[in-house]
Amino acid sequence: MKPTVTERVKETAVGRSIFRVPDRETPRERAEGHWANFFLHLYPVKIRREELGFRYSWYLGVISLTLFVSLIVSGVYLMFFYVPSPTTAYGNIQFLQTSVPFGQFIRNVHRWSAHLMVVAVMAHMAKVFYRGAYKPPREFNWVIGVVLLVLTLLMSFTGYLLPWDQLAYWAITVGTSLAAYVPFVGKQVSQLLLGGPQVSSATLLRFYVLHVAMLPVILVMAIVIHLWRWRKDGTLDPGGELDV
Amino acid sequence: MSEEPRIVDGSRVLGVVPGKPAVGEEKIPARQKLVFVWPHLLVRHAVASLAVLLFVLAVSLVFNAPLREIANPMSTPNPEKAPWYFVGLQELLSHLHPMIAGVLLPGMIVLGLVALPYIDRNPRKKARYRKVAVWTFTLFLVAWLVATIIGFAFRGPDWTWVWPWNGWYGEL
Repeated sequence: MKPTVTERVKETAVGRSIFRVPDRETPRERAEGHWANFFLHLYPVKIRREELGFRYSWYLGVISLTLFVSLIVSGVYLMFFYVPSPTTAYGNIQFLQTSVPFGQFIRNVHRWSAHLMVVAVMAHMAKVFYRGAYKPPREFNWVIGVVLLVLTLLMSFTGYLLPWDQLAYWAITVGTSLAAYVPFVGKQVSQLLLGGPQVSSATLLRFYVLHVAMLPVILVMAIVIHLWRWRKDGTLDPGGELDV
Repeated sequence: MSEEPRIVDGSRVLGVVPGKPAVGEEKIPARQKLVFVWPHLLVRHAVASLAVLLFVLAVSLVFNAPLREIANPMSTPNPEKAPWYFVGLQELLSHLHPMIAGVLLPGMIVLGLVALPYIDRNPRKKARYRKVAVWTFTLFLVAWLVATIIGFAFRGPDWTWVWPWNGWYGEL
């Protein structure tokens, strides 16, 4: 048989430098290849056939992750045009919408992805509940999932303030006013969140730092652990088979 | 059976045991058979991912993100609403003491969710074998949905009841 173009490219010096190892053909070689792949190592090598279909998961986990990636990409674009100060923030958004190429569109993507991600994460949790997928050996991954839900809500809530319009300002005022009712330390919690007696420039800066630095890093780490546990716990599932 | 050992394909057959083979018998149902994640799962994930992305891009072409007037601490809008995912709590806040609706209840919800797999020790997974868990969860879910929808779409100035077709105060 004549070698294909791909095969011929792989045989050149450059090709061999890119594709480190020969093609993997037997099931054992394919499993090893998957295992060694940098991008695939968060996925298991094999899963049960019943987990493939739409009805099993509604793909809500991967949908949540997709929306999160869309939020990172659009969010980084927005960061180029935004300064978190009451004197500049609102004007930045107006400028973004009227004068920056694709500014309005990217802001829309960020806004709608954020709302959809909250919906997707909640739906993911409900689906996992009804499937009974929080049961042993997956109890702790459910707990990480709850942490991810809370982090998603915090991400959305801190981002809500950043446009510094009436909608943002008063929604955050309502939301944070509850902090004052925390028993014993209400005043301190409120002060910590707002950086003062009411939503102000200090609050905007705090929410911005939380939104673009602290929470995303924590969220990424929690997602990675969540996926890693998904892979690990899957092989312990009595429904499955210990085979890799 | 007790004949002299025969030679078959160069091996000596010492005896034949009737019955099922000791190993190698198929016991796993087809739906639990293991398949490779690449390509079977990853292709489906890629399609789901692209479909969602396409949906977001389409929505973003049609609907613009809201931007109201610049923030003004002197002028409180009426009603002032929390983001939609907290509006259910805000609705409860209008009926209960803020300490209960604003602190205790959300705290209990999160703690309850965290504790769920440790409280529910029933190993069965099908809904019909775990009626208590399913009904409890569904009850909370429906209550939360109803509170959220009321707070989002049915509340107007001073948090009074407004039918959505008489006035719209929901904000995303």
